[in-house]
Amino acid sequence: MTLDMRMLERLADAAARGGLADAFYDTVDTTVGPLLVVVTGRGVCRIAFASEDAEAALAPVARLVGPRILRSRRHIEPAAGALSSYLAGERSELRLPVDLTLVRSPFQAEVLAALTAVPRGSVTTYGELARRIGHPGAARAVGTALGRNPVPIVVPCHRVLPSTGGLGGYGGGTERKRLLLELEGVRVS
Amino acid sequence: MVKTASPPLPPFGLLVERHGAELHAYARRLVDGDADDVLQDALLKALRAYPRLEHGRHLRAWLFRVVTTCAIDHVNRRRRRREVVVDAVPEVPEPPPSDGATFDGLLDGIPEGARRALVLRYVHDLPYSQVAARLGCSPEAARQRVSMAVRSLRERLR
Repeated sequence: MTLDMRMLERLADAAARGGLADAFYDTVDTTVGPLLVVVTGRGVCRIAFASEDAEAALAPVARLVGPRILRSRRHIEPAAGALSSYLAGERSELRLPVDLTLVRSPFQAEVLAALTAVPRGSVTTYGELARRIGHPGAARAVGTALGRNPVPIVVPCHRVLPSTGGLGGYGGGTERKRLLLELEGVRVS
Repeated sequence: MVKTASPPLPPFGLLVERHGAELHAYARRLVDGDADDVLQDALLKALRAYPRLEHGRHLRAWLFRVVTTCAIDHVNRRRRRREVVVDAVPEVPEPPPSDGATFDGLLDGIPEGARRALVLRYVHDLPYSQVAARLGCSPEAARQRVSMAVRSLRERLR
């Protein structure tokens, strides 16, 4: 069993003051369900849906960013607040600094970077994204790269659909993909 | 690079989630009303050392040791403060960061059976059933021996 919130926040504050924390995490309740949000000094480095295992989601952060990761709601603000109000439809923009340390291949980095050119309310296809980064025909590899997006919602991989129609896959499940698109006014049958 | 089979270090926060409550209870048994401060010190100390650990084995036992050491330091500091007040010696030298009290040293003098039970439980991280099997007693007796060792530790920390 864990400590109470007061002790956890006190520990997080002292660790932050002493430069002893590599990252902070907590679970944030949102309209698309609870999200595990991990924040480093550089930005949001991992967002995981409740359907993913929290320990499995944190393990690569420990390995690649550092093992000194502490639970603290206070220290994942303002990212947590921005995410929950965006997903509640209270704000139309979600601009948060991201830390892409968990992105390990240049190809995946390119795919995720290309997504920033797909604005809220619009969609693209895996094939189109592949063409955009100069790898026509690599639609499947683009799909794999998006499936490993460490920061879904903030890097909007839900805006990528199959050219054959339908929703395609999504790390958080296709129903969440539909919800996220509907929030942006996009309806997919 | 040769990969070792050592388990990687888990996120520190998960250790706190798993063991925080029992560490807090342990700190309370050692230092009563100062448990919050002792645990906070211990977790910060552990956090400072954490990236230097070579593997992720026996982390629970390690955390118990850090809490024990911090409780000893805490009581020593308190005792020194008390002595300063009582003796009112004007030239009290700066106390050393630690006066050498170690977990093992602290265990000296605790009755053998109780000491072995405490070490098996908290250093080797064994459940009471296995502590009992090693000591050739019932799990209930093992629990009582650990409890007696903790009481004895606490007496020494006063």
